[in-house]
Amino acid sequence: MEPLLTFAELASLMSSRAGVAIDAAELERRSDSAFTELGLDSLGLLGIVGELENRHGSVPSGAEMCRTPREFVELVNQSMPAGA
Amino acid sequence: MTRRVAVTGIGIVAPGGVGVPAFWDLLTAGRTATRGITLFDASGYRSRVAAECDFDPAACGLDDEQIATADRYVQFALAAAAEAVRASGLDLAAEDPWRVGVSLGSAVGGTTRLEHDYVLASASGSRWDVDHRRVGPHLERVFAPSTLASHVAEAHGAHGPVQTVSTGCTSGLDAIGYAFHSIEEGRADIVLAGAADSPISPITVACFDAIKATTANNDDPAGASRPFDARRDGFVLGEGGAVLVLEELEHARRRGAEVLCEVGGFATFGNAYHMTGLTTEGLEMSRAIDEALAHARADRTEVDYVNAHGSGTKQNDRHETAAVKRSLGEHAYETPMSSIKSMVGHSLGAIGAIEVVACTLALARGVVPPTANYEVPDPECDLDYVPRTAREMPLRTVLSVGSGFGGFQSAVVLRRTGAR
Amino acid sequence: MDSPTKRRTALTGMGVVAPNGVGADAFWKATKEGVSVLDPISREGCEHLPLKVAGEIRSFDPASVIEGRYLVQTDRFTHLAMAAADLALEDARLDTADGSPFAVGVVTATGSGGGEFGQHELQRLWGQGPRFVGPYQSIAWFYAASTGQISIRGGFKGPCGVVASDEAGGLDALAHARRGIRRGTDAMVVGAAEAPLAPYSIVCQLGYDELSRSADPARAYLPFSADACGFVPAEGGAMFVAEEESAARRRGAPVRAVVAGHGATFTGTAGWERSREGLARAVRTALEDAACAPEEVDVVFADALGVPEADRAEALAITDALGPHGSRVPVTAPKAGTGRAYCGTALLDTAAAVLAMEHGVVPPTPGVTDVCHDIALVTGLARTAELRTALVLSRGLMGSNSALVLRRGDAPT
Repeated sequence: MEPLLTFAELASLMSSRAGVAIDAAELERRSDSAFTELGLDSLGLLGIVGELENRHGSVPSGAEMCRTPREFVELVNQSMPAGA
Repeated sequence: MTRRVAVTGIGIVAPGGVGVPAFWDLLTAGRTATRGITLFDASGYRSRVAAECDFDPAACGLDDEQIATADRYVQFALAAAAEAVRASGLDLAAEDPWRVGVSLGSAVGGTTRLEHDYVLASASGSRWDVDHRRVGPHLERVFAPSTLASHVAEAHGAHGPVQTVSTGCTSGLDAIGYAFHSIEEGRADIVLAGAADSPISPITVACFDAIKATTANNDDPAGASRPFDARRDGFVLGEGGAVLVLEELEHARRRGAEVLCEVGGFATFGNAYHMTGLTTEGLEMSRAIDEALAHARADRTEVDYVNAHGSGTKQNDRHETAAVKRSLGEHAYETPMSSIKSMVGHSLGAIGAIEVVACTLALARGVVPPTANYEVPDPECDLDYVPRTAREMPLRTVLSVGSGFGGFQSAVVLRRTGAR
Repeated sequence: MDSPTKRRTALTGMGVVAPNGVGADAFWKATKEGVSVLDPISREGCEHLPLKVAGEIRSFDPASVIEGRYLVQTDRFTHLAMAAADLALEDARLDTADGSPFAVGVVTATGSGGGEFGQHELQRLWGQGPRFVGPYQSIAWFYAASTGQISIRGGFKGPCGVVASDEAGGLDALAHARRGIRRGTDAMVVGAAEAPLAPYSIVCQLGYDELSRSADPARAYLPFSADACGFVPAEGGAMFVAEEESAARRRGAPVRAVVAGHGATFTGTAGWERSREGLARAVRTALEDAACAPEEVDVVFADALGVPEADRAEALAITDALGPHGSRVPVTAPKAGTGRAYCGTALLDTAAAVLAMEHGVVPPTPGVTDVCHDIALVTGLARTAELRTALVLSRGLMGSNSALVLRRGDAPT
């Protein structure tokens, strides 16, 4: 099954929703770095959560508290199988 | 010789308390004025609770022109200013108008009306090239944030320094602080100082929804604002206005005015940290407290009551508790600290002025207002928050603090006359 | 600490973002030459509106001066303010690394806030629904956005303030910074930049009777002339680094000017003739504050609203306050070539005044040829003159009047 959220999609959301430019490969390589180290603040993550909610109806609670891209991607994909 | 600054009149429009008597009754009874939003249909929103004013401008003495041309938040300020001037006993027509100033704060100004007319001009958000023929009259006066101080200055014939201050949620404290400075420095003898906001509109509710800053406790509107309580989950949006007559002390004494209290000190700093985020240490707010106390020549052990910002967000209440402990040391544990936002909500820029009015009344009447809805202690918030019931006690020195988006951290010290 | 009155305020850095130039050099070249850049509005969504001419900044690329995230997270008015603050800090070479972060504060003035950002989010809300409003709306639209962002980006934890005012608030912000320095802050980053040309922002301004409806850029804004038909709005402004003078001199910073005096009054919105007394009183207060005799004023940067009764009131106020010197002293209004950027206007005038004193040149009032008031308005070509003291005047559409006295940086104290 295709994951709902890939690092490429997250990188694209970071750019469109928060103006943080990072390429997908680098995001995946640094996926255990804190979002803040990658330049994404708490509001930016909330904006990404909001965008995913609008696309998919809901996002697991606590998503906006995730510290790293890996935590975030795993939480979103575990709780929301594609097509849900 | 230092010019001292007296408070000789107060006026207020607050949720559940239009006018000083009703406001004080609400606070001392520990009643809450938070409820489901009625000002617009909030059914599609995450947070549907607010603290609204049941406000009748005509009953508050506003004339037809003021009702027709002034935005709701400006009307709050006009009503509060009229009440404050009346209470002060001043005959402003007999004063030198060039020595009378106005200093009022607002965080979001006319956004409610701006949004209303935007909807008309854009055919409900369907076009970027908005149609100017569809908007209502006097929109230019709504667009200009200085309309707030301008309206109040015109109503009272003030020709001295007139300013509108907009430092987010510290606007009210800062407007009072700047007014205090202008009298202290000799630029004015009398300043009508305070703040007003009426932000309960779709755009403001939606923007706080987007950052989950407001409560989602829609099932219990009356109990939704829970500052310092472990169950707190965000602030309750409010509205209102408050104005104080600040007057050079000798000027007040010469005319035999009743001095409610003195403004002793003010300070503000930026946290240079994040537009909405707060540190856990509260260093910058603590510094504002220290400077305001030093300005008032008050030792930290003299603080009898802290009126908290106490918005009821997780991070704010923790931040503020840390800041107060940093400034007051062990004395913090012996000092009552309450948040009236538990009762009247968080009216953004207005609340600082509403809280200074509450502090003035607390000093004058020897009663500390409570933190309503406070039941479950949070280990990170371990001070005396005056749970649910007002407390009678003599007060000589009180501190009011505020914190705002943009990183603003402000503190005002009020003292009973003769307390220094 | 020195007594408050001994702590003088020096301007040590200047950053300009104006319709006629980004950066002080470009701005001064255009200002000195009296070039007008007023032009038909080119912004998307404004074509049909009855306001036809404005002062747009077309040579500003925010992406080249500030980090990309700010392009998404803040409004154009904050982009302009941040860019101007950067230029000012660079000019002042203010090194804050060793000092206390509490020693530097920030104050900005604004009368329009983040209108373009706000219109986008309103369109999301009403076009798509409340859940489409983004998180940055909470920090981008409100008036405090620029002060907050500059404070955070620079690590400035000193007193931070926002004057949300009409035009005169630009000078009031400088006065506010000066008070901060008198009260013990070492330096303040101070100024204003506005971006009021989004479609809905323009719709909001159309109610001003004073707004010029002329479609001819050469005729739209001709203050003090018989053809005066209102003012043209603009975007832009300037930021300064203000420092306690002796500390600035100790660190070898070039003191470009000293903020010597300020006065502010209010005369309301019921008729411009009332601003005559209000402005004259503001000037007298500012001169007294600066211990400056009227005859010492070498140049006046006028408010120059471009409305006949307002121009008349200002011309009379200048002679009321300065006496016979008032009809001889050179008066100028470079803003006739750029338009009025609300709170940013008086900051641009302050920048022009500092540059004029440094170069010994009074810039002209672009476009104006006939002067129908009893003042010595400089028109046509710039005029060479020894300038030690400048007076900057500003009035606002909500009724404020403000006056600022500047002394040249090398003028004896």
